[in-house]
Amino acid sequence: MVTRKQGPTRRTFLGAAAAGAAFGTLPGLIRPAAAADEFKIGLFIALSGPASLFGPTQRACAELAAEEINHAGGILGRQIKLIPTDAGGPPAESTKSAIRLMLEEKVDLFVGSHDSATREALVGTIKGKVPYVYTPVYEGGECSFNTYVTADTPEQQIRPSVAWMMKDKGAKGIYLIGDDYVWPRKCNEHAHKYIADNGGKVVAEEYVPFGAPNKFEEIVTRIKSAKPDAVLITLVGADNVNFNRTFAGFGLDKDIARLSLLLEENTLHGIGADSSKNLYSCMSYYENAPSEAAKKFKADYMAKFGAKAPQLGRIGADCYEGVYCAKALVTKAGGTNAQKCMAASEGISFPTAAGDVTMHGRHVDKTMFLATCKGTEFEIIKTFPNVKSGDECKA
Amino acid sequence: MDPLIVTQAINVLYAVSTLAVLALGLAVIFGLLGVLNIAHGEFVMIGAYCAYVTQSNGWPYLAAVPFTLAVCGLLGLAVEWAMIQPLYRRPFDTLVATWGLSLLLRKIAEAIFGLGFYSVNIPLPGTVQFFGTEYPVYRLVLIAISVAVVASLVLWYGGSRTGSRIRAMVSNPELAQAQGISVRWLAAGTFIVGTCLAGLGGVMVAPLVPVQPFMGLDYVLRAFFVLIVGGLGSVSGLLSGAVVIGGFDSVISAATNAANGYFAVLVLSILFLWLRPRGIIARG
Amino acid sequence: MRAASLVVLIAVVLPFVLGQFWAYQLGLYALYAAAAVGVGLCWGRAGFLPLGQSLFFGLSAYLSGLAFIAFQGHPVVAVLALPFAALVSALLAYAIGVVVFRRTGESGAYFSMITLALCLLAFQIATSWNSVTGGFNGLKGIPGLPGLDDISDVYYVGAAILLAVLAFAGWVYAAPIGVLWQALAQNERRLQLFGFDTNQIKSLAFGASGLMAGLGGAVYAPQQGIVTPQAVGFGLSADLVIWAAVGGRGNLIGPVVGTMVVGSLTAQLRDTLPFWEVLMAVFFIVIVLMFPKGIAGFAEPLAWLLRSQRDRLVVAAPKSTAARPPARLVLDGVGVHVGEVTILDRLSLDFDAAGIFCVIGPNGAGKTSMFNVVSGELAAGSGTIALGGVNVVGLPPNRVSGLGVARKLQIPSVFPELTIADNLAIALWSGRATKLQLLAPRLRRWTSPMLQELQSRYPFLASGTRKAAELSHGEQQILELAMALLTEPRVLLLDEPCAGLSPEETGAVMEIVRWAAKRLGGAIIIIEHDMSLVKELAEVVYVLHNGTLLARGSVAEIQADPNVRAVYVGGEK
Repeated sequence: MVTRKQGPTRRTFLGAAAAGAAFGTLPGLIRPAAAADEFKIGLFIALSGPASLFGPTQRACAELAAEEINHAGGILGRQIKLIPTDAGGPPAESTKSAIRLMLEEKVDLFVGSHDSATREALVGTIKGKVPYVYTPVYEGGECSFNTYVTADTPEQQIRPSVAWMMKDKGAKGIYLIGDDYVWPRKCNEHAHKYIADNGGKVVAEEYVPFGAPNKFEEIVTRIKSAKPDAVLITLVGADNVNFNRTFAGFGLDKDIARLSLLLEENTLHGIGADSSKNLYSCMSYYENAPSEAAKKFKADYMAKFGAKAPQLGRIGADCYEGVYCAKALVTKAGGTNAQKCMAASEGISFPTAAGDVTMHGRHVDKTMFLATCKGTEFEIIKTFPNVKSGDECKA
Repeated sequence: MDPLIVTQAINVLYAVSTLAVLALGLAVIFGLLGVLNIAHGEFVMIGAYCAYVTQSNGWPYLAAVPFTLAVCGLLGLAVEWAMIQPLYRRPFDTLVATWGLSLLLRKIAEAIFGLGFYSVNIPLPGTVQFFGTEYPVYRLVLIAISVAVVASLVLWYGGSRTGSRIRAMVSNPELAQAQGISVRWLAAGTFIVGTCLAGLGGVMVAPLVPVQPFMGLDYVLRAFFVLIVGGLGSVSGLLSGAVVIGGFDSVISAATNAANGYFAVLVLSILFLWLRPRGIIARG
Repeated sequence: MRAASLVVLIAVVLPFVLGQFWAYQLGLYALYAAAAVGVGLCWGRAGFLPLGQSLFFGLSAYLSGLAFIAFQGHPVVAVLALPFAALVSALLAYAIGVVVFRRTGESGAYFSMITLALCLLAFQIATSWNSVTGGFNGLKGIPGLPGLDDISDVYYVGAAILLAVLAFAGWVYAAPIGVLWQALAQNERRLQLFGFDTNQIKSLAFGASGLMAGLGGAVYAPQQGIVTPQAVGFGLSADLVIWAAVGGRGNLIGPVVGTMVVGSLTAQLRDTLPFWEVLMAVFFIVIVLMFPKGIAGFAEPLAWLLRSQRDRLVVAAPKSTAARPPARLVLDGVGVHVGEVTILDRLSLDFDAAGIFCVIGPNGAGKTSMFNVVSGELAAGSGTIALGGVNVVGLPPNRVSGLGVARKLQIPSVFPELTIADNLAIALWSGRATKLQLLAPRLRRWTSPMLQELQSRYPFLASGTRKAAELSHGEQQILELAMALLTEPRVLLLDEPCAGLSPEETGAVMEIVRWAAKRLGGAIIIIEHDMSLVKELAEVVYVLHNGTLLARGSVAEIQADPNVRAVYVGGEK
């Protein structure tokens, strides 16, 4: 094959010209617009990656809160501007975004709804320079400086629900199954304690590798032969869906109850009506939560977003309370000074999607709902008011 | 017999047979065309979504089969013409290009269906008494279908003569064209067969797994490991690969835990890639 | 040098132009770019694709992070640990290369899949081994580099590492080893026949890429303060491949351009442009399909401007270290069977140590197979092949070549994308350059008296910058012949050297053959079909049939032999 290319071809030049023109316009795209006197909130949500199915809801709920607050005068007279930023990728990407938001956008506060690995990385990068409100569901223990947690804690999720399982449903032997990382392991630590407190027994404790292509036939068979009364599930995402469908497929749902700790509307939709019998969940918010506040929240949400509104659920609604927490905190502290915020955080009260909560020790006590699954909808069967977080920070 | 052992044994059989069928599409394309189709898992995903669409429109589940064949067939044709055909002599570039394709297909699925999980109801729900234990009906049916598919392949394939014929024609297109055979259509047809098989695999497993845009990655990885271990170019190779990978994973997961099963698959694949790259059944 | 100083200047000035955050971002991406350059080395130069390169990046990052945590009070010690972390990655990469390439020489796809599987394994280990790696949440609390607190310091460290990696890459690309990598990607077999251990060369490439990724990873840990399993995960590996591809993998700075442009743009625009990832996927496919040279390919016109036009002085090459005294090649009862087919059937040939010999026979007689078995590419099932008394059965091709056997293949087999000068240089390095000398760019200007004689006969051999692919068929034949001669072999195997040549070109080749026989004083064995050539050149003719020797003698004796007539009548041109 003889090639006669002696130099750049015409195609190369055309391509180079096009590329040059494109790159020339880039700085215009990237440089952020000049800011007015707005209160900027860096909103870390999942815009990419496996958790990105929550992204639209997270953004929508945060926008609803911001709009409501802005109508009422904003935070200390400043209108809120949300800056949604991706936290669904590797933590290094999120920390980079945090630095950009602090340096270039000069954000006043962060609200974050993402996994703990990202949270820990962000805490290390933000270094308390800016207040940081963490909102979803987590394993407890976050007491870093200038960090405020409205997330559901293991104590809140597990204590009332496990007690109910064992007393009201008569479950004695519990099988623990979860993904192998910190949240499930911490939850199971709490579970051991509460199961023992209620006179029960942990039949077995098993973990599947996180991020691996898992299938559950073998595990379900093992559970079947272990004959527990209930299964406490700390699997997440696709693993949660897969496990529950396999479990029901093998017919175990007839005799064995399941309590899944990160089961919200999207996951339930994936599990499907044919696999959701005898399945329970316990979180601080559901779309069908019976409280007056929840009904109003849903109405306002539907009014704002209409028919195309992203599916409501705990992961998403947590951003609503995050923004309101920011307002309460900053209003009481009179600004975003770190020391003042830390001092002011004790005792602030603010609305969440399910009702008002109060902050103690930079965590919140919450009303928890125990839901059963009817088809692909939740039906709340028990309300536990004012459950302590159990993770109050000392200072 | 202890029902636990029986159930786990059927689990192993289920794992092996579904793995064989799911790897089939990749085996056809990799073994016959020498093309690594990293988007294989996305065609499985497409099949699963087709199953969902079929069910949500109220059609009988079997209608998903022709539907999937149409979608995967047309898509396969377009992809083969636009991307694979220009890159036949550049194997790494096809790998990279099909990977870009898998990204694209994922994003398109996301755009159409969103990122949430969809569930496809099991067409044959319930369990049945089988050798002293209760086992889900649908899974047993899948085992039967997988065995039937592989068996018919053995008959049609006739060992590996047809395969080597196809391979010979694709690697020596001048000779083939001299004999009046259109190599272009043969190659395109082979690729389409591969993508359709993947799609059908998706239809089969859709009721059992969460249907979402990221589901394809697992399948392409497992399929590759099956082919690496078993060897390319023959049905017996595919089967032995499925037996080893699926069997090891299932047995070790059953005996100890899932993490060990996954580790075992990875280590096994590496060992085979290293020590016996032609696979168990090496065919020239 | 002009290009290098321009790059350094840009690197120093950049943060002032782009602002603090961009400096920080580019500082991080500089580390990724270092790893991407490694991918470019393996894929763009040496011709194999590593799909799990983040294994080395992340391994170094974890080791460096652990070192920084362990030596918390003594930051200087920790900094000394950085190169060690990178070295571990380099050695691991080299070891993997050695172990893998030895077994799976043929197909690059297997190697790619192994690297992928290893990367997945590493991710699982990183996620599960909580006590050491911190599990899914990662290794936290890694102290930063001493004395560097400001955000933009991150940039300078990153840029420094990247520049160091680029300097290293630039050096090895210009050195003989860099040329050998490219040669390997173009024609591995030919390189082996020149006595180079291609498996080791590939492993060196892989090891070098591991070093580059390791350097990036080692600095990543203190820079970020946390190392999560994503640092060894498939996502990063995949990104490195994309960046190298889009930027231009064959180019030195192509991968850097790809990382900076694509990587940082993705990070910036992902939040604002909703369909960014779809665009990237399409863009990526288009690049692979239509612009394999990537973005750097567009910059080629620019590179022309920067190329320095110095005249290169030639350097005399040392004497060949391959065995020199003339040797007889003796095949004794050699049998080769593939499946049920007998290729060589108890073949016994005895060649004198000096002279021109022709091997003829009908198609399928086993002539080329006989060459293959001598050069070590075909395994002899039985019998011995002695070269100067040394049995070469079972030796790999590069070892046989080292014993003084050179070969010209049937179809002209040179290194098409390399310049003529580099093609000839490779022949000169064969048997003369020590391993260490392969790192010296000086060797590319080697010449030998034989080369100069050949260049005076065939001036096109002196047009150094033309690519071998631009030569005509006949010129390529002569080039390959020249390359074989430059190794000054004791036994020269020529497989139909005049195939496809015009009468003038054929005459030229015959002249070289005669000249070479006198000049080298060794044996020249030629497979030929054209009886007129055989008559002109051969001192002894061997006739092969069905894998065994049918007759042997002078041309006249052969032509009179009834057995030969019965089986094969050579055509006259």
